[in-house]
Amino acid sequence: MSVWNPTRVHVGGRIVRPYTMTGGRTSVSGRPIALEALVVATKEGIRNRHRYRWESAEIITLSRKEMAVIELAALLDVPIGVVKVLTGDLLEQGAVTVTDPPAEVTEGEGYTDLLNKVLDGIKSL
Amino acid sequence: MESSHSEENRLTPVKIVVAGGFGVGKTTFVGAISEIEPLRSEAIITEASEGIDDLDTETNKTMTTVAMDFGRISLKHDLVLYLFGTPGQDRFHFMWNELARGAIGAVVLVDTRRIEACFAAIDFFEKRGTPFVVAVNTFHGRRLHGEQDVRDALQIEPSIPIVYCDARVRVDVQRVLVAVVEHALNRATSSAGVG
Repeated sequence: MSVWNPTRVHVGGRIVRPYTMTGGRTSVSGRPIALEALVVATKEGIRNRHRYRWESAEIITLSRKEMAVIELAALLDVPIGVVKVLTGDLLEQGAVTVTDPPAEVTEGEGYTDLLNKVLDGIKSL
Repeated sequence: MESSHSEENRLTPVKIVVAGGFGVGKTTFVGAISEIEPLRSEAIITEASEGIDDLDTETNKTMTTVAMDFGRISLKHDLVLYLFGTPGQDRFHFMWNELARGAIGAVVLVDTRRIEACFAAIDFFEKRGTPFVVAVNTFHGRRLHGEQDVRDALQIEPSIPIVYCDARVRVDVQRVLVAVVEHALNRATSSAGVG
């Protein structure tokens, strides 16, 4: 397994109120996005990257490899809420896909299979 | 339109929440096993300010940032585990709901010298029904209190595991995570039997 080593992007310290990046919106228009939901840029998103403004373009760049919403927020140094709004927009425009965590179902064969897989993975670290 | 990404390569994200009082070692715990340096992410929340004239309700709110530490562990080619440290301060407990949603389980990290600091976390996971284990951070390998003493002080169900760990030590943290998932498995299989 390769060690994942992202390059930190330093953007902090800019004098911009966070929600000016989202046009003042604080909630996602479509479905709710979990903190650990994985964002991946689509080919279309990568091709059209230059059409997006800074933060959204950076989300596309960083998510060439799967990247959780919370990771994007940390790497871009912008609040989680802002990343959720921008990611929601990119999703609607087909620039990224978002993989949700498994639904909160805590029993059944599918769930125990998942837990066994997680257990096996942790034991072999 | 080109297709985006092939379905079979999809990673599934899962998470385990690491809770406990302020300064109990949550970030150290996450950092001991994460493949990335623990990252800190911030959420902006609005808090009602008291003692201000009620002329305009919008201005009676102040913006505060709350920081969350998290780490990442690749488990399989299609499975990635995120560890989330909860914000320690009491006034950020409302954020725990979002953190706990969809978590496969939780670790309540305890410093037995300040055992009361973890009560809120235990109450929360008990109420929410999230499977959790109690991990006593031994700080330099010293067990100040025995398991039964801890269990008595916390008043937790006998089925809830108590494990000792040094939050700085990778294999200790790994053992705690194994305990969480095994406990979640036990719970999942026993509840399936009842249902």
